[in-house]
Amino acid sequence: MSFTTKDVVLKEDRPKSLLLQKHSDYLASYGLNKDDYEYCMTEYLRMSGIYWSLTAMELMDQSSRMPKEEIIEFIKSCQDSESGGISASINHDPHMLYTLSAVQVLAMYDRLDAIDVEGVVRFVASMQQEDGSFYGDKWGEVDTRFSFCAVMCLSLLHRMEDINVNKAVDFVLSCMNFDGGFGSKPGSESHAGLIYCCVGTLSICKRMDALHADELAWWLCERQLPSGGLNGRPEKLPDLCYSWWVMSSLSMLNRIHWVDKKSLEQFILACQDAETGGFSDRPGDITDPFHTLFGLAGLSLLGNTSIKAVNPTYCMPQETIDKLKLEPQILHI
Amino acid sequence: MHGRVKVRTSEEEKARKDKEKQEKLKVFKNAMQRIQEKRKNSELDKELLELSGKVLSSNPDIYTLWNIRREILNIFRKDIEGEEMSQMYDAELHLTEYCLKVNPKSYCAWHQREWVLTTRADPDWNKELSLCNLYLKLDERNFHTWDYRRFIVSQCKPPLKGEFDFTTEKLYDNFSNYSAWHYRSKMLVELYPDLQGGRPIEDSHHKHELKMVQNAAFTDPDDTSAWFYQRWVLGAVKTTISLVVYTVTPFKTTFAFSKDVNEEFVMSKTRLYVNNEIVTGEWKSCVGNQYDLLWIFDHTTPIKDDLDVKVEFEKEDKCTQIIPCTKYGNSTYIGKNEVSFQRQYSQAVVEELNNQLESCRQLLEMEPDSKWTLLTTTIVLYCIDAKKYHKEVIKNLHLLKVIDKLRAGYYDDLITKWSIEEQLCLDFKTNECRLFKVAFDERISCLPHLQYYSYCEEIDLSNQNLSSKILPSLVVLQHCRKLSLENNNLTTLGNFPSLDLRELNLKGNVNLAKNEIEMLKEKYNYKIIY
Repeated sequence: MSFTTKDVVLKEDRPKSLLLQKHSDYLASYGLNKDDYEYCMTEYLRMSGIYWSLTAMELMDQSSRMPKEEIIEFIKSCQDSESGGISASINHDPHMLYTLSAVQVLAMYDRLDAIDVEGVVRFVASMQQEDGSFYGDKWGEVDTRFSFCAVMCLSLLHRMEDINVNKAVDFVLSCMNFDGGFGSKPGSESHAGLIYCCVGTLSICKRMDALHADELAWWLCERQLPSGGLNGRPEKLPDLCYSWWVMSSLSMLNRIHWVDKKSLEQFILACQDAETGGFSDRPGDITDPFHTLFGLAGLSLLGNTSIKAVNPTYCMPQETIDKLKLEPQILHI
Repeated sequence: MHGRVKVRTSEEEKARKDKEKQEKLKVFKNAMQRIQEKRKNSELDKELLELSGKVLSSNPDIYTLWNIRREILNIFRKDIEGEEMSQMYDAELHLTEYCLKVNPKSYCAWHQREWVLTTRADPDWNKELSLCNLYLKLDERNFHTWDYRRFIVSQCKPPLKGEFDFTTEKLYDNFSNYSAWHYRSKMLVELYPDLQGGRPIEDSHHKHELKMVQNAAFTDPDDTSAWFYQRWVLGAVKTTISLVVYTVTPFKTTFAFSKDVNEEFVMSKTRLYVNNEIVTGEWKSCVGNQYDLLWIFDHTTPIKDDLDVKVEFEKEDKCTQIIPCTKYGNSTYIGKNEVSFQRQYSQAVVEELNNQLESCRQLLEMEPDSKWTLLTTTIVLYCIDAKKYHKEVIKNLHLLKVIDKLRAGYYDDLITKWSIEEQLCLDFKTNECRLFKVAFDERISCLPHLQYYSYCEEIDLSNQNLSSKILPSLVVLQHCRKLSLENNNLTTLGNFPSLDLRELNLKGNVNLAKNEIEMLKEKYNYKIIY
């Protein structure tokens, strides 16, 4: 069996410094052309797209370049009066993923009053099942991502008492694996993105003690490849978004120093597109707002001071989390 | 966008592509508009099925369209029965199959498949299982396919042994299949738990897995999959929660545990006696969490001098353990339990571990710089006899820091943890003082097991590699009066916990701003040396 490490090689002519102005320009113009092909084809996740762009802009202290009032009006029009949930876009159905994105955006704008909060709480609480898990919507898909959506959403609204927190925690813990990691449901393989969701849930519910911290953090730091980039599962290629999923989890576990920060920073910077602005999954690929946020947020966790501090649990500016007086748990070391 | 390479194209080519896209977009927008109109008008019919199916075929992630299809099928199944409905379900499965070819990771398409199979009356589970086999041949790591397989298994409940054998088969195809190792771990504890001994895996199977995974790891030492599984199998021992030390003072008693426990646990398992009378009081977690390593018991009435003090602790096997104590000074009583970090294996497994150690050493001789071989050798040494091999273990970890530079921070913390474990066992056996001072050459980088030293009056952490991130963990030092953090790497004191100190030494932390110390001085009235 021949075997080579799955990784990329960083080129000498890659971007080596942070191109903040380019990224801000990129996000400000993203979606200005409502007939842009990519923009239209991603309508089904528009609400999350707004969250990615706005958070990235907030972290760069450039959020004034986003059309605030237009966004708030859009969110209002996406709330379903019956279920209380919020959809990705107009004429789409309410879902936990987009309900969370909307609440995050409004929290950053300090405009949670713009929506029917009781409706959101009702929707989120109605998604909890007997075993503590959460559906994504009324059609019954179960996933630990939705558990995280639920507790993040309700904690931002200071309404955690509306769900059974102990049961929510127990369900997440039932998804723990031999390697200390988590998957999307009981029995599912560990994956760095879902680990972030599960660790984040435990951080908000203040049950970080239930983790096998050393085993999990070791598995997470083993995601770092010789290029400096991180993958999401063993024997997979590196991808910039794992700079967030892995590093935020390690931050909550207080073990961020288990990866090599310098080479990770080089990898993240190499994922910038110096022409168009924005970050992509790997050097040389097409950029998008999703990777742009996670590139910036990753650099913030690494201590880059030209970006605002990001909260590892909420993936929102620390100042927003402080203002809301939220204290997600970080493990002692 | 994942994995889409940016390609340079000529102006002409770009113009052509843009035009193509605009045309596609026009079709897409028209279809979406038509779909939404029909839905608004409650025209949930075959035409809408067709329209939404067309759009989904190239955009399987538009979740609302799947919702619409389920709404339609739910209406149809009220009136249509038998073969006709069955065909509609088949068509739906066919559509999801098509969509999964476009995007094998489409959550929506996978979920639609599950929905169809749990909704229809005549699901063909065997067919689905064969489909999984096929998909796993195409991509053996697609976690959606594995999840789908687990869903089918949960529905049709084939013998688990068959699933276990399936993982064996997949692994012998290719040992570099982490997904299969993962699935195997679930099957293994389900099929072969050690019911009598309370270990996670029954002995002969534990041995068998160790052999198999070592064979896999040695086949290709650079592939990481098997090494993770091996580390888990090595760590599959019974663990119990124990009360490690308690400290009784007139107003409060602290109880330190080997693992985080909740109030219900401490209330039901621990009892403090003075002159054979149970002491009453109130429990609180040291940190203020639901689960904690250190619990504080505030006595209802103060405990006075010269008394007979003891603690009863109910162990996991329901046996009650009496932990005696020693009196310190006028009114402090400290009871230390026996502590051990040595992993307990059966004799058969220990023999196997020794064989593996031998093989590891041989492989290492051939390739002394092989990270995974060195790491596994080190872990096996630790597992067999942490005390006997301590020096070799630490030496190897230092070597790993050089070979595997990216994870130097991890190895530093592991050196700290395992060195502290060594010292702890000694301190608990022979050290009568209420002082903790690092007694080995390694500089510690974190504070594992600190609750074991909660009884100490003096904690000397000078000349170490401690950064400010460790400060919150100091909160367990509830009886400490004199604390030294001299010559460390502290940079801020913002997260310094509230402690009942008399003296705090912060000298030699060169990157610590004066104003940070001033702020601490204002907050607390103990002596601060800097």
